[in-house]
Amino acid sequence: MGSAREGKVKSIVREALSYKSGAAGVGILIFLAALSIYAVIAIPYDEAIRMWRGQEAMWLDNPRTAAPEWIQFFSVKKLPKTIVLDSRTRSPYVSKAEVEMPGLNMKKVIIEFRFVYDFDELPSELNIFFFSNFSGAGAPLVTINWVKPSAETITMAKYGLRAPDDRLYVSISDSILRTLTNLYSEKYPVNTSERLTVLKLLFGKVDGASLESGEFEVEKGTYRLILEALVFGVQTSFDAKAVVYGTIHGPAGTDHLRRPLEIALLWGTPIALAFGLTASLLTTFIQLVIATVSGWYGGWVDSLIQRITEVNMVLPFLPFLIMISVFYKVDIWVILAVVIALSIFGGGIKSTRALVMQIKEYPYIEAARAYGASDFRVILLYIIPKILPPVIPGLVSAVPGYVFLEAALAFLGLGDPFLPTWGKILNDANTNGALYRGLYYWVLEPAAMLMLTSFAFAFLGFALDKIVNPRLREM
Amino acid sequence: MEEGVLRVENLSKWFTIRRGLLAPPLTLRAVDNVSFELRRGEAVSLVGESGSGKTTLGKTVLRLYEPTSGRILFKGRDVTNLKGKELLWYKRETGLVQQDPYGAMPSFMTISRILEEPLIIHKIGTAEERKEAVFKALEDVRLTPVEDFAFKYPHMLSGGQLQRVAIARALILGPSFVVADEPVSMLDASVRIEILTLMRELQEKRGISFIYITHDLSTTRYFSEWIFIMYAGHLVEKAPTKELIREPQHPYTQALLAAIPDPDPENRKRYREVPPGEPPSLINPPPGCRFHPRCPYVMDVCRSEEPPVVEVKPGHYVKCWLYAKK
Repeated sequence: MGSAREGKVKSIVREALSYKSGAAGVGILIFLAALSIYAVIAIPYDEAIRMWRGQEAMWLDNPRTAAPEWIQFFSVKKLPKTIVLDSRTRSPYVSKAEVEMPGLNMKKVIIEFRFVYDFDELPSELNIFFFSNFSGAGAPLVTINWVKPSAETITMAKYGLRAPDDRLYVSISDSILRTLTNLYSEKYPVNTSERLTVLKLLFGKVDGASLESGEFEVEKGTYRLILEALVFGVQTSFDAKAVVYGTIHGPAGTDHLRRPLEIALLWGTPIALAFGLTASLLTTFIQLVIATVSGWYGGWVDSLIQRITEVNMVLPFLPFLIMISVFYKVDIWVILAVVIALSIFGGGIKSTRALVMQIKEYPYIEAARAYGASDFRVILLYIIPKILPPVIPGLVSAVPGYVFLEAALAFLGLGDPFLPTWGKILNDANTNGALYRGLYYWVLEPAAMLMLTSFAFAFLGFALDKIVNPRLREM
Repeated sequence: MEEGVLRVENLSKWFTIRRGLLAPPLTLRAVDNVSFELRRGEAVSLVGESGSGKTTLGKTVLRLYEPTSGRILFKGRDVTNLKGKELLWYKRETGLVQQDPYGAMPSFMTISRILEEPLIIHKIGTAEERKEAVFKALEDVRLTPVEDFAFKYPHMLSGGQLQRVAIARALILGPSFVVADEPVSMLDASVRIEILTLMRELQEKRGISFIYITHDLSTTRYFSEWIFIMYAGHLVEKAPTKELIREPQHPYTQALLAAIPDPDPENRKRYREVPPGEPPSLINPPPGCRFHPRCPYVMDVCRSEEPPVVEVKPGHYVKCWLYAKK
């Protein structure tokens, strides 16, 4: 004790930075803080909630469970990206023609989508969205034609719209699969594989061998999707959007609800930091005060606090939290309050009290009492500043524990129901069998963020520990 | 003895030692039935060996310990059971200088803050005035130039300098009574006399009553008017300094004085009579006179009954059966 550093935050920070671990910790922390600020500014809270809770409708143009785009760097194959074609927007890849049928109050709308498909893998999905303002029984009838790069033309389906904003899930349509299978098995008389899909037949090089094995190579080139709609009523509009979903998307990929993961990864950062820091700070300081009171007054106050602590330390922490989360509607603040309440009477009280017992016998405390310092003043201005330096590394090192706890609760489905957090991504990944399906990015991304956070605080904690406990210093 | 600043009547401080759940607690009689008076502007040396209860007596008088029994009268007021604001008044009127100057300073405060603390607690002056008072106090203990010391932390000062700060802190509230608990025993021999002289000077100049706790009889004659000898929780002899040194009455005082080394070559031929044995345990003190197991003049009565306090000469009191009027 009595070192030159006590009470001088600046020099502690400077010294912390002089250690490699300290500098690394501070570096990562600055990065995470910048990420948090970016997240909060770029995606305001309400917007983030809306985007995360908006379910599928919001992200219809995104592929499901697509890996992040940077996966491409590690793949020799060219992985398909999503292609969106919309007749309502002008584009060289879209053409639309309307032919009125004189005297019949009918018209023919022909929409042609052209796109180049030169990826090495099949797309993940193909959907067609229709937009028509028909009313009553006058639903447009659409003939869907598919033209392969080899100029082979296939009539996939004749489809009557069931609603003004109907959609046709081409890739999972049984009738289209049947149509295509029939078409090709007439052409190639082989036993067709059970593993045929619409996408394989639409995008693959079809021949007898591939039909039999179910393994298709992608036919690269320009495809055309031609929609010929018979529209009743000259005033009735007809438009369509075709989406060829890829297998990679965005900087962080998407989940089972097509949501881009970066929303939750970004927003998880400020939540994790705020949760961990608040929990750790409040717990440590409340513990500090309680432990000091316990050590300073002794007697029955001390006994009471110590017995409460001992009982609380024996109680299982997680089951309690789970119970509370199950019985009450909790948001992140309630969880935070419960976590703090359960952590206050923890081991920190024991170690701090031991320190206080030692410090309260120091002559300077007696001197303070001799010139009339009150108990309150002695605790706050004479004892706490003395025990603060050894307590701070513990405070910093405790942060990841609380971050993990929050993630663990979210993983168990007991977290805040609205906020997008890292734990929630893990929960989704788990319930959707991410690892079983080989969707490693889904688990590894939030895990990496969690690890980064704990590295930052652990490194900083080590450095601070070395400063306040000079015995830990390397030679 | 005329009415003094401080009057202590039959003061006792017993500590209770708990030994566990079932074992009965023990009582340690650190200070037992002590009475004395202290006059304005006079210094008393409280002398005794380690464990004799002299520090406990000093701290109990300052109300750092709750007295077990007896009364403390300060300026005519009973301060034994003061609480709250009134106790704060007593704290303002008293001061303490401790043995260990390093431990006596909060290491995280600057010297100026350390000296300002008592002023803040007693709500004295504005920040400006307090700063002036701090500088003045540093000047008084000759830590000059003041600016060089005011903003340093305790670890940057030497033991002697820190003890000057401690003296400044004890005196900054303008007390009329100060206890100095072995103020120089942890200091370098070279600065001891300096510190003692400074204390004596300030004490005389300001008319402060002083209790100087020490085990070193040799320095007491220069720095105090009175010497009180303490043995095993009892005050065994109280006398004016010169008188006590010249004519020690209590057998323990005589032994203590005889033990002071005197740099005289003749001394090696002289036989020094040292009372055999150790000071008694204060947990279970011997009945009667506590010195009787070691006393060369022990009588039957010493073993069973506590000796009375006898005034052998005006102002010279001895707690011994040898001087009791039969």
